[in-house]
Amino acid sequence: MNNDTVSTDVLIIGGGPSGLATAIHLADTLKQKGRNQRILLIEKGSSIGSHIISGAVIKPDVFKELLPEVDISEIPFNAKVVKDSTVFLTKNGSIIQPFHIPYMNNIGNYTASLGQICKYLAVKAQEKGVEIYTGFAVDEILYQDGKVIGAKTKDTGIDHHGHQLDNFQPGTRVEAKITIFAEGTRGSLAKMLIHKFNLAKESNEQMYSLGCKELWSVPQGNIAPGEIYHTMGYPLDNNEFGGGFIYGLNDNKVAVGLVVGLDYKDPSFDTHDAMQVWKTTSLVSKILKGGKLVEYGAKTLPEGGYYAIPKLYVDQALIVGDSAGFLTMPALKGVHLAIKSGMLAAQTAANALISNDTSEKSLAQYETLIKNSTIHKEMYPVRNFRQGFAKGLIAGGFNFGTQLITGGAGFSGRLRAHADHLTTSKLGELKKKPFKERFNGQLEFDKVLTFDKATDIYHSGVYHDEQQVVHLHIHDQEKFNAINIEEYGAPEQFFCSSEVYELHVNKEGKKELRIHAENCMHCKTCDIKSPGERITWVVPNGGNGPDFQNM
Amino acid sequence: MALTIITLIKQVPVPSEMRMGEDGLMDRTKAKSIINIDCTFGLEAGLQLKKQNPDAKLIVCSMGPGSFETALRTAISMGYDEAYLLSDRKLGGSDTYATGLAISTMLKHLGFTKASNEPYIILAGRQTSDGDTAHVPSQVAEAIGIPQATFVESVKADGSGNVIAKRIIEGGYQMMKLPMPCVISLTPTGIPPRKPSLSGAIKARNLKITTFGIDDIGLGTEKIGISGSPTIVAKVVNMVSERPPITMSEGHNETALVDSLIANLKKGGNVLEKKEAIAKKDTERPDFPEKDFRDGARGILTWAEITNGHVSRPSLELLTPARHLANQLGNDTKVMTLIIGKNVQPLAQILIEHGSDEVILVENEKLEEYLVLPFSSIFEQVIKVRKPEIALFAATTSGRELAPRIGMKTDSGVTADCTGLEIGEYVNKKEKVIYTPILESRRPTYGESKLATILGFVCPQVSTARAGTFEVPKRVEGKQGIVSSFTPVLNTKDFVVEILNTVRGGGGLQNLFEAEIIISGGRGTTNDSLGLIKALAEALKAQGVNAEWSCSRPVVDEGVTEYARQVGQTGKTVRPKVYVAVGISGAIQHIAGMKEAEKVIAINHNPKANIFHNADFGICGEYQDILPELIERVKAGFTFGIEPKKAL
Repeated sequence: MNNDTVSTDVLIIGGGPSGLATAIHLADTLKQKGRNQRILLIEKGSSIGSHIISGAVIKPDVFKELLPEVDISEIPFNAKVVKDSTVFLTKNGSIIQPFHIPYMNNIGNYTASLGQICKYLAVKAQEKGVEIYTGFAVDEILYQDGKVIGAKTKDTGIDHHGHQLDNFQPGTRVEAKITIFAEGTRGSLAKMLIHKFNLAKESNEQMYSLGCKELWSVPQGNIAPGEIYHTMGYPLDNNEFGGGFIYGLNDNKVAVGLVVGLDYKDPSFDTHDAMQVWKTTSLVSKILKGGKLVEYGAKTLPEGGYYAIPKLYVDQALIVGDSAGFLTMPALKGVHLAIKSGMLAAQTAANALISNDTSEKSLAQYETLIKNSTIHKEMYPVRNFRQGFAKGLIAGGFNFGTQLITGGAGFSGRLRAHADHLTTSKLGELKKKPFKERFNGQLEFDKVLTFDKATDIYHSGVYHDEQQVVHLHIHDQEKFNAINIEEYGAPEQFFCSSEVYELHVNKEGKKELRIHAENCMHCKTCDIKSPGERITWVVPNGGNGPDFQNM
Repeated sequence: MALTIITLIKQVPVPSEMRMGEDGLMDRTKAKSIINIDCTFGLEAGLQLKKQNPDAKLIVCSMGPGSFETALRTAISMGYDEAYLLSDRKLGGSDTYATGLAISTMLKHLGFTKASNEPYIILAGRQTSDGDTAHVPSQVAEAIGIPQATFVESVKADGSGNVIAKRIIEGGYQMMKLPMPCVISLTPTGIPPRKPSLSGAIKARNLKITTFGIDDIGLGTEKIGISGSPTIVAKVVNMVSERPPITMSEGHNETALVDSLIANLKKGGNVLEKKEAIAKKDTERPDFPEKDFRDGARGILTWAEITNGHVSRPSLELLTPARHLANQLGNDTKVMTLIIGKNVQPLAQILIEHGSDEVILVENEKLEEYLVLPFSSIFEQVIKVRKPEIALFAATTSGRELAPRIGMKTDSGVTADCTGLEIGEYVNKKEKVIYTPILESRRPTYGESKLATILGFVCPQVSTARAGTFEVPKRVEGKQGIVSSFTPVLNTKDFVVEILNTVRGGGGLQNLFEAEIIISGGRGTTNDSLGLIKALAEALKAQGVNAEWSCSRPVVDEGVTEYARQVGQTGKTVRPKVYVAVGISGAIQHIAGMKEAEKVIAINHNPKANIFHNADFGICGEYQDILPELIERVKAGFTFGIEPKKAL
């Protein structure tokens, strides 16, 4: 061991709501038991919040549990929801639904910038003695005798080819009694861990959605703070799962976005562009009229639900939050579950530290706690919700109806799901108009209401060091060219939320996928949706990526 | 005798925040603070020295408000061992002279003196992005009384108490050997700063940073802060950018992009809207008594820098503002020029014919090459005898280190890199007096966005003038003037620094200065050893256009082509009608060499490349796609709007 090894009791990887909740609750619990133990949290964003993006409408109750000493008014929520509408959009109009889909009523909840909430939680965590280090990427899990013993931060000062430069800085090994993975959706280390220990063998394939979001500043009166809409329908068709959201915020800001299930078939489907089309509907365009784009961002959401949650504990390690897949699909809410899972993981970790037993057997308590918690209460009844929609909106609606009657089981018990990278159709096999034809004439962006990806990503503050190995790995270039490009038409160029992938065709007609890693929004869509899973997203240098301010 | 490496850093606002504000303008109010870029190269140089000397101790120092602790902690997280901050309200408003004095006092307090037995090296950034003076390193060296090398790109210790430094000079570089202790300032062209390590960040979190007030280090208030500084900023006005905003090509493939470029070139691109200077308000001149603070000092002294046996062009340019100021001062004010070297007498007449009234010759075998220690000492001696009211230097790499070193000796401070020099007056409302006549030195600052007027109240008022700003005065052949000699006392201690060798470009490839269009390749174009760059230049030549190709520094560093083709601060400065920058990121040092081009076309795959801020037309794309398309167009007759010399 060189001197670049650090020891801690608990290492938390990821400074989002679940990681911060783990840290806070662990610090509180250990303090109650009179113990002083080291908790170290590492975040890859340049600061807490810079990689945090969410709708967001948040159920506030869990904050009372997490921070019992704090008055809820102290938490930097945005406007309280006062008007909540569900709207069915068509190309030429919209119908306000007279009812709410169950689980979707938001009156009494709060709109928020999750990034701002996380900044607040980080201050609280530090007050409680948690050490938080931002701008460090963790790219390796450390094992000893097959057990997780910590993780290592990424080496920096490396050129494109992987050679050490003069300013090489080796990563730091962090050895921990317990390591908690809180990296968010499709965490790159959680993925390795799940694979190594085959933690998903008994669960459904995780399914994901991609959400693109813009934050706007609009003229006074366009929308009231706390006025929120969820939209269904246009521009998505019956076989595409998803919908839009419009959240009126304080100070004449409004958050708008479109979330689309990544199990769609059309290889040329483009969520970002679909969102631009969505903005031209009368409902959305009216609200944005006269306004200005402030920020753009994108993230994926795990929405496989209850049955897609893998086993979440191994010797000396736990998985929490989005990395675990905690999200209730009908309500599109994961923040309170992320926090709750963090708290339960904290409780488990505290007990393990106190009893000096961090084995898998001891950490199994985490699963029991989840089963007895609100997480289970919320997720289990809708356990088949998303899979039901895989068959299409109509069938899905029917299925959801029967689930409501049967308490979640539906008529067929447990619905299986396919991984999103398997659902894309090959060129010529798509039984409907491809995306560009479907929206022919609507994809010329005016840079007033609608924007191309380049303009949008400029509003994300994204930055990546030039000197590093490209963080998007194509496994088998030949297969990629033969299958992903030739057979599927390089869907990467369309599904990417931030124009990382460009299919370049030269004069001789030779096709080549070019990777502009510097644009990457860290949404992981490519890791999820690339046919044959031929792209792996690995973490770039710490501090790289978007720089969200109020997302 | 363990080596100590002390690196001086400053925290500055981010020069260009990437984020656009809601009004569509760059929002600077949210600008975060960072370590000044040049200073980060100083930090890395220290870490590199530590690699060679594993026992060395790394100390980082700064002066400023308590918030500068952030920068110091970053340095610790990169690998530094100790941090010291000089922080005192009384230091607020200090000019560079006062800053140099305060920092050197802290260093002396820490035991780093001229007489120190332990070897040490002081590293610093070349200059800061919020001040751009490059003075402080020289002033610290002078105040401690040790040798210096500024504008240094790389540094290493030779193992026997010396430092080997590669100093960047106009058109080349110089290898120097300095004994320890010494001060080295680093340009942002060497090894880029490493990232912090987590273990370093953990150390930084727990480290106690020692903060000194001025009382702690025994520094009085007489020479610091606003009142103690010899110079003040009298006013700051906004400046308009020299180049209009870029016109980017649009299109989804290279054909469309090149079509768009050609159309844009025809349209002519954006024009700079020159806002009329707002008419000066005639503020009433109060009826205060006038005060002549010059205390008998008269005349203007300039320095004639010798390169390759000639008076350098910037030194001749200097005679224009010198004459202008002499005329404004009236009363038969004389322009004196000091020339130091070996066998330099024949140059005296040239200076006289360009406008010097008197040339003061200092000739000595040992003075053939410029060295800051003996030259600053000679200046000090000449100033003592001749008592000029103003001393002017060209803002070359030599002038910019010599002037502050002299300004420290004469306690007069310096104004750096001026683009305007006028005689004016200063109304001091507090003292109820009008200082007149006084030198108003105007200089761009804050990344060329503001023009500041600086005044100095101690004679000689020292300024450096930016090269290329003033015309060389017309030569009047046969003009008569005085040529006098001065014999200074030369101290052997001033010759401890050895110049190992000097490499200057300039030889060969004169056509780069005459070409109407230059195709220049950067690091991004080395995959084919500049094959496409050369091919485009050749295609243009075949059309009868005087075209040439060049490159940026990394291309020469990688050994792809010869040094004579390098454009930039350390290479050639070119002024073609059209400059096509391909795969060039646009580092400041490159911009310095091509910004005088009439039209700049930038081709780069990175939309955020700095070159796009310094170009008229741009294409965002891969050069391997764009250049073949351009070459075809050229073959079909497209010549970037330049008339071919002869029809083929």
